[in-house]
Amino acid sequence: MGEAADDQAALEVHDLHKSFGDHEVIRGVSLAAHKGDVISILGASGSGKSTFLRCINLLETPTAGEVYIAGEKIRMHTRGGRYQPEDIHQVERLRAKLGMVFQSFNLWSHMTVIENVIEAPIHVLKVPKAEAIEQAEALLQKVGIYERKDYYPLQLSGGQQQRVAIARGLAMQPEVMLFDEPTSALDPELIGEVLKVMRDLAEEGRTMLVVTHEMGFARDVSNKVVFLHEGLVEEQGDPKEIFTNPNSDRFRQFLSRTNQ
Amino acid sequence: MGEAIIQFLETWSPLDVVLIAQNFDRFLLGALVTLQLTGLALLIGGALAVPLAIIRAGKNPYLNAPVWAFTYTFRGTPLLVQTYLIYYGLGQFEAVRESFLWGPILSQAWWCALIAFSLNTAAYTTELLRGAIVTTSRGEVEAALACGFSAAQRMRRIVLPSAFRRALPAYSNEVIFMLHGSVVASTITIQDLLGVGRWLNGRYYLAYEGFITAAVLYLIIVLIISRGFRWWESRWLRHLYPQNAVETKPKKGLASFRF
Repeated sequence: MGEAADDQAALEVHDLHKSFGDHEVIRGVSLAAHKGDVISILGASGSGKSTFLRCINLLETPTAGEVYIAGEKIRMHTRGGRYQPEDIHQVERLRAKLGMVFQSFNLWSHMTVIENVIEAPIHVLKVPKAEAIEQAEALLQKVGIYERKDYYPLQLSGGQQQRVAIARGLAMQPEVMLFDEPTSALDPELIGEVLKVMRDLAEEGRTMLVVTHEMGFARDVSNKVVFLHEGLVEEQGDPKEIFTNPNSDRFRQFLSRTNQ
Repeated sequence: MGEAIIQFLETWSPLDVVLIAQNFDRFLLGALVTLQLTGLALLIGGALAVPLAIIRAGKNPYLNAPVWAFTYTFRGTPLLVQTYLIYYGLGQFEAVRESFLWGPILSQAWWCALIAFSLNTAAYTTELLRGAIVTTSRGEVEAALACGFSAAQRMRRIVLPSAFRRALPAYSNEVIFMLHGSVVASTITIQDLLGVGRWLNGRYYLAYEGFITAAVLYLIIVLIISRGFRWWESRWLRHLYPQNAVETKPKKGLASFRF
């Protein structure tokens, strides 16, 4: 399990734990994403699925466990009784290899659409500006929002903002795209346009980790589903198998509840 | 014709307009001194306030406490007292009088006023900016974290540009307060705008002429400043006004937005 470096998983998480105070939210979750994998992480609210995703790029600091990104382990140590990164610069470098899409978009509101997309490539990846703009325009075409490139985020609908956020993540040319409930804050009629973009990315062979409530996406698009319950993997596998034939009662209940 | 107007004014006007006109160049010079002191104090104070606000918004207690003490003191005492302490107070110390700073700077009223004003506006601006920094959207900061920005880059590229914009309306008040506060300069011999009014009053015993002229000129300056800020806000804050989200023309459409 720990030999991530050998088989070069794009992302590997080993026995991750996370507590908030006395409450252990993640109680030992492991997961590997290989190139081209689209993994959906399902679970009821409070199951720890978002926290798990946020631990991968250290937006939350795990209390134990290991994360490998493209074979490189995020070095952690215990200092002053706290498990924490050994080298924040390594964390920053590895974060840049992951694209993250948030539930509430989190676009930089004082920058236009195109400025949002070129910001990190220019300042983190040190891409020359002209090149970054060219690349950003192509990405904005891809997510279908090129015409709005000079708008400010708050001048756009939620679905449009989320597509910009996806373009911003893609601009990092990431090993893995992380999606944290990307459609949960959207009005129902706007969910489709975002899911369509994500579907296209999956078809392109992007490696994606998607925390979602969209059962259709999990079943039809992803090649692996992980169902978390109270901070543990309760069920995982090929969606075609586990959706039709769940092993765990909890997953069965979860499915029947979400299908209504 | 001109003669007739002057005669009319001299006889009937409640204000001695002719006296004001004769001394108007003095008032303009006074206004210049006021603008100079206020402008320089705002520049120096603003430059001080940015790093101090970053410290205040941070969590380091060893840096935070002295900055807090500074802002608390300067916001908690009147500007007049601060100016007196620097202008009259420092001279009591022999070490100050003998230092190389005494002759060119600390014995000069203009410099003392500038120092007092700069520190005063620095204190207010620090707290104002601190508020804007700590209320930066957590989500926007997380997005920068997730992209691999370093702490310095997050501050420079995301937090400060956003905070400056959000602080702008409150800062326009600070600028106007500083302008009004600069009348303190006239109490330590400086011929600023109010200083000229006081001089006129002292010389001719005509309080209205001097003070109304000064007041009108202050009013005009404030009008220009607030106009300027309104324009600045319409450019810098347009991203905060979705205004009929989808169909608005970008950039140009909101430039004429009125508050």
